[in-house]
Amino acid sequence: MLNVTIDGKSIQVPEGTTVLRAAEQAGIKVPVLCDHPHLVPFGGCRLCVVEVEGMRTLQPACSLPVSNNMVVKTNSDKVQAARKFVLTLIFSDRNHFCPYCQVSGGDCELQNAALEMGMTHWDYQPNWKPYPVDASHPYLVIDHNRCILCRRCVRACGELVGNFTLGIEERGASSMLVCDLGVPFGESSCVSCGTCSQVCPTGAIIDRQSAYQGLEKKVERTPSICVGCSVGCGVEILTRDNRLVRILGLWDSPVNGGVLCKVGRFLPLDDDRERITRPMVRKDGKLQPVSWDEALNVITAQLKPLINQKTHGVAAIASPRLPVEALASFKKLFKDGFKSDLVTSLEEGATTTSASLVAQEMGAFETNLEALQSADCVVVVGADLYHEEQVVGFMIKRKLPANTALVVIDSADNEFTHLARATLNPVAGSESYVLRGLGAALVKLDLAKGTPAGMNAEAELKTAADKAGIRLEDLSRVASLIGMASRPVFVYGRKVNADTLKALVELSRLAGAGQSLIGVRGAANSLAAAQLGLEQPFKRNGHQAVYVALGDDQPSQRLVQEIEGVPFLVVQASHTSRLTAMADVVLPVEMWAETSGHYLNLEGRLQASTPALKPMEGVYSNTAAIEAVAMRLGIDVTVDWKAELQQSPAPVTLAIA
Amino acid sequence: MSKPKISTDWMCGCAGCHMSLLDIDERILKIAELADIRATPITDLKEPDESGVDVGILEGGINNTANEEVAHRMRKRCKILVALGDCAVFGGVPAMRNFFTLEETLKRAYIETESTDSEGKIPDNPELARMTRVRAVHEVVPVDIFVPGCPPDPDVIYYVLSELAQGRKPELKGELLHWH
Ligand code: SF4
Ligand code: SF4
Ligand code: SF4
Ligand code: SF4
Repeated sequence: MLNVTIDGKSIQVPEGTTVLRAAEQAGIKVPVLCDHPHLVPFGGCRLCVVEVEGMRTLQPACSLPVSNNMVVKTNSDKVQAARKFVLTLIFSDRNHFCPYCQVSGGDCELQNAALEMGMTHWDYQPNWKPYPVDASHPYLVIDHNRCILCRRCVRACGELVGNFTLGIEERGASSMLVCDLGVPFGESSCVSCGTCSQVCPTGAIIDRQSAYQGLEKKVERTPSICVGCSVGCGVEILTRDNRLVRILGLWDSPVNGGVLCKVGRFLPLDDDRERITRPMVRKDGKLQPVSWDEALNVITAQLKPLINQKTHGVAAIASPRLPVEALASFKKLFKDGFKSDLVTSLEEGATTTSASLVAQEMGAFETNLEALQSADCVVVVGADLYHEEQVVGFMIKRKLPANTALVVIDSADNEFTHLARATLNPVAGSESYVLRGLGAALVKLDLAKGTPAGMNAEAELKTAADKAGIRLEDLSRVASLIGMASRPVFVYGRKVNADTLKALVELSRLAGAGQSLIGVRGAANSLAAAQLGLEQPFKRNGHQAVYVALGDDQPSQRLVQEIEGVPFLVVQASHTSRLTAMADVVLPVEMWAETSGHYLNLEGRLQASTPALKPMEGVYSNTAAIEAVAMRLGIDVTVDWKAELQQSPAPVTLAIA
Repeated sequence: MSKPKISTDWMCGCAGCHMSLLDIDERILKIAELADIRATPITDLKEPDESGVDVGILEGGINNTANEEVAHRMRKRCKILVALGDCAVFGGVPAMRNFFTLEETLKRAYIETESTDSEGKIPDNPELARMTRVRAVHEVVPVDIFVPGCPPDPDVIYYVLSELAQGRKPELKGELLHWH
């Protein structure tokens, strides 16, 4: 521990602590612009300069490590004067016209810093050279007039997202923020995760959806979770007058640490589907608005006779975006109440059955996302992390500059391929042979850490080469990448069948990595749906009615076709769709931002979603709608959903408090 | 002691700062009690007394030779010069035109605007003031007090006026300091 005295306050800090963090610890606020708690210190803006006893010049607090018995002054006249001067230079570097800037009035860290210094004006002229405004991006706008070259966006894009789209070209006064090698933002390699806009301290990167929708000071902020996929990223939902304004990544989230993908940040605000606000019943061939009472009467009359009709009753299918509470009641209603043999989720187990099968055999075999932080080799098998579970992709990509070896094993082309140290493209269906072959290669290279029982390495290698069409030298190259790594992590996706998954588990054991698998699973509550046994394929067969708890999900083409022609269809949904258009009864329910309930993410972490919006009167929660139907039918759907989730072995240890 | 004399004038602004000044509502009576309100664009007297005033307040930036005259006259005749509002402080919205040449601006305003017929013509009467780049007041004459805001809030203006009327120097900070 080191002793340091800051503004007369003496504290102790561990070695390596910067003066800035030490000051924070002492409760002293040092203004910053380029520094950001989630990015590596850069020391570019010089706003954080402090006086250090014995040092001739002022020092940047953000990048100066504390040394023992250091004495620091953060607020002397000299420091104050220097800060004002720094701000004056920053203001006059480009063109800052606060009165018509979107972030003025509280949301601009530059303006806030000046106001805190009591600056009424700055003495120099703006640059007056017009800088370009790049509005070519679908979600973001870069106004170079307001860019202070703090490089927070550049660092976030690289350090947090691993995308390295943004950079700085030229030097000194000619420095410019550029996308890739100078292409328009909209034509760049940007994946629209929006992290840069979240860290930009000024109005230089603004997002179109929330621009001029109200100052962030005037919005309400609700910490919650994204239900866009099975990662379950923490979000902060900004609303104003019961309207979505902006979605930010929640810095404190243990899952994503502030980063989001396009699906979580921007797509929800693009949702322009028509909302369903009243129950509707088909009369004379047309859906007519009715009361809940009337809608429930119709459902009761039609469904009551189908109770206990195992194969000729009600087929029920629910969205894996519903909270666990709703899924558990749904299962209880249709599986236990109706005794239906077809109760499943919209995913029909596509992303979960392999893992469920393997878990039945060997119990929990996966680990959580944190493992990626220290991975020195990541093997991605049958997962498209460019389009799905994108934040997991970011967690991998950002490790690459630290020399983490990426291996992609996929029968199809994959956007990750060009980043990979090595790629194996097995013939579709032959993935398990490749994985066994890799295990054999590990043994042959003497890099295996486990003891393979009765393995014939040569034979396995030959099978892999023959069946998968992979050259032996490629197999052994990849095996040595995996074998040389001290902390390899294996990420697999929906394309992995149970056989392949078993081979993958074996491979990971040979690599000696303990539990080092991570499965990405599709929807926000896919794992919960799987734990509840809602993962069978949807084939309507003889069923006389279908009940779809669609929530705010989109029905697939296949589902619509499978359901078409059923004598009686009930859909509980928040938005109109082809499915609601076909329905005999439609029940209005909440969309994600109105939902209060629980989600089990891919790591088995139970998280709560907190409503940021109030639903319209008469719109029920998904759980309440299911309960209302059950009540009419005299079926009890109260259920201990936490216990229910833990009844079957899970692929990952469930963290259910 | 006689009441301090206050005079105001406007230049290249939108009159919004003076509107905001009037927005102090009945508190203007309090100011009138404390100070002698002399020439302003909204009183009958149009030019600050030649014998001088204590406080001169200017709204707007300086965008032609006529405004230069107004600024110099005010500076000469007042003890404390206040730049009121963003235009006076740094040029404000009109300063957007500094991104273009004077020729481009004139052409756009008098010839190319959608509402101009084919007769559009840039005025060239030699008696007219000559147009310049838009400048903040402090680029032309020294300023003592800067009151930013577009426009500054009436509460801010009231605070500034009442402090000046009582012979004190207003210090803008905290809630009273904003730039928008
Ligand atoms: S970025 Fe900040 S300082 Fe620059 S114009 Fe906008 S509000 Fe003003
Ligand atoms: S949106 Fe994401 S990927 Fe695109 S430039 Fe910003 S940080 Fe990089
Ligand atoms: S765009 Fe924003 S975050 Fe990026 S360098 Fe400029 S001011 Fe900093
Ligand atoms: S990775 Fe998944 S949970 Fe995270 S923001 Fe994207 S869609 Fe949402």
